[in-house]
Amino acid sequence: MGKLYVEAKPSVDLNKNTEWFMYPGVWTTYIAILFVSWLLVLSVFGCTPGAAWTVVNLFHFAVTYHFFHWKKGTPFAEDQGIYNALTWWEQMDNGKQLTRNRKFLTAVPVVLYLIASHTTDYQQPMLILNTLAVFVLVVAKFPNMHKVRIFGINAGN
Amino acid sequence: MVRSPYFTTLTTLLSYRILFLFGHLRDLFEKLLDWSKLNNLQGYAPICFGYEDFYTRRLHLRIQDCFERPIASAPDAWFDVVERYSNDNNKTLCRTEKTTKCLNLGSYNYLGFAAADEYCSTPRVIRSLKQYSVSTCSARVDGGTTKLHVELEDLIARFVGKPAAILFGMGYATNSAIIPALIGKGGLIISDSLNHNSIVNGARGSGATIRVFQHNNASHLEEVLREQIAYGQPHMYRPWNKIIVIIEGIYSMEGEFCKLPEIIAVCKKYKAYTYLDEAHSIGAVGRTGRGVCEQLGVDTADVDIMMGTLTKSFGSCGGYIAASKEIIQYLKQTCPAHLYATSMSPPAVQQAISSMKVILGEDGTNRGAKKLTQIRENSNFFRSELQKMGFEVLGDKDSPIMPIMLYNIAKIPAFSRECLSQNLAIVTIAFPYTPLLLARARICISAAHTREDLIKALEVISKVGDLVGIKYFPVEHLTLDKVKTSTK
Repeated sequence: MGKLYVEAKPSVDLNKNTEWFMYPGVWTTYIAILFVSWLLVLSVFGCTPGAAWTVVNLFHFAVTYHFFHWKKGTPFAEDQGIYNALTWWEQMDNGKQLTRNRKFLTAVPVVLYLIASHTTDYQQPMLILNTLAVFVLVVAKFPNMHKVRIFGINAGN
Repeated sequence: MVRSPYFTTLTTLLSYRILFLFGHLRDLFEKLLDWSKLNNLQGYAPICFGYEDFYTRRLHLRIQDCFERPIASAPDAWFDVVERYSNDNNKTLCRTEKTTKCLNLGSYNYLGFAAADEYCSTPRVIRSLKQYSVSTCSARVDGGTTKLHVELEDLIARFVGKPAAILFGMGYATNSAIIPALIGKGGLIISDSLNHNSIVNGARGSGATIRVFQHNNASHLEEVLREQIAYGQPHMYRPWNKIIVIIEGIYSMEGEFCKLPEIIAVCKKYKAYTYLDEAHSIGAVGRTGRGVCEQLGVDTADVDIMMGTLTKSFGSCGGYIAASKEIIQYLKQTCPAHLYATSMSPPAVQQAISSMKVILGEDGTNRGAKKLTQIRENSNFFRSELQKMGFEVLGDKDSPIMPIMLYNIAKIPAFSRECLSQNLAIVTIAFPYTPLLLARARICISAAHTREDLIKALEVISKVGDLVGIKYFPVEHLTLDKVKTSTK
């Protein structure tokens, strides 16, 4: 890669919890982590590539659902708790919907689902789990679901 | 404008992911294994919600020994740093009796007034201490205004170039108490995205609407102004009562000046007021030390309110506001920091008066002019040498603050601890005081540093920089030995 430089312009986003996502290299890191974890699962379990992609997909579902759509607030106290009722996904881009970052983050679980179901040849137990994972993740990212709490789940402080 | 290597950005993001993951795993295990210890607060609300102190507990505490180190002498060019040790992996730190003499590159001691000075401290400050005692013990409007306070306010007004000034006991409190007195609900505050916490707190406390413009970007400021003036107040669409644009003279995390002429031109075009916070630049930049207005050639009558602190260049404490006579008269009647807070301590006022007189040359010597040239030469020499070595150094020419970019968070404790072991005290700054990916080590040059001190510091930083791996730019061929022989 030689010495490839990128400009890191400070963004206008006041929310320090989400402004790190505006920097160059974030998308690449995300995709790199997914790919490297697939290689890790393959080498540790010695399973078929399809099973490894299913494992990665399900892990990705668990981790991103927990951090993007379950955990509310910010991990520091300086903003005096103004974001305490919002999940990370709702804080992103100051609440603006359908930005580039949001579209990218919605596309990743879909692409993962396609890869996982293709490499497992659409066989049964894996297919149900993968479909469930992608369904929950994509629905959670709809613009209409902004600040919606179904049945009051996760509404309390 | 920070240029970082792409690979470094990727590794920095990856290291943050790993640290967060380990932090969450530790929290999970704490909940599982120690659940009996956590539940003895039946009926009481928790002091902080579980996630709020995650960053402090799991990330900041791991490298706690790099921040807030206690010192045992006046913060001159060389000072004594107290050694600390920890028995539980940095959760608690214990002080020892031993101290190490280190070169001080972290104090805001721009003109060298932090230690004993022959004109300021003996005899004048000690004389005022004996005459007026340590504290006036009352607010300015009660019994807290002495001759010294009035003299300092006149001197500040004359120094800065404004008709009148008002003095406060604390720089942070100046910003957070004045902004609510100037503007309230129905007003608009447009502040630079990298403004200091005191301005952010003052703006939040005022109740006005706050908008942020991209750091130092006058065209984005114009865009924000146009949009806000066109829309008016939120929900009511009425015109704004007033609009104040708040900027700083030198941004202390970047070391660069604000683009004052362009921003003032935009504000004048749209009839917005300007508030300039010169906490770091007053006394340290400019040919005669009068701050960014002198450095960038802007008439002080064009800036509506100029704020500054006496902590950095003048070796005292406290802050001031300089503006027109009407604004100062209004502030004296409304600002709670003037009406209710204890007035500034008289020896501190005398220290500020004496140091300002030295800078102006009114003490009868040219020490002030010598200090100003010394700090300018020191800053330019140090910055150019660091850049030649391949470090990424931010900041403009003539600015005494130079941040060296580290990026990866593991390099923060590595750089800090290695420099301390070689007797060089450097301040490193991590999130949340800087953006997440842009961790840096900040150097503040002082007029008290001699050329030998700076050369020693450069050698240590170069060695440590090689060890830690922060020379992101190609190295130029002029080496340090050639510089040493050329300046002798």
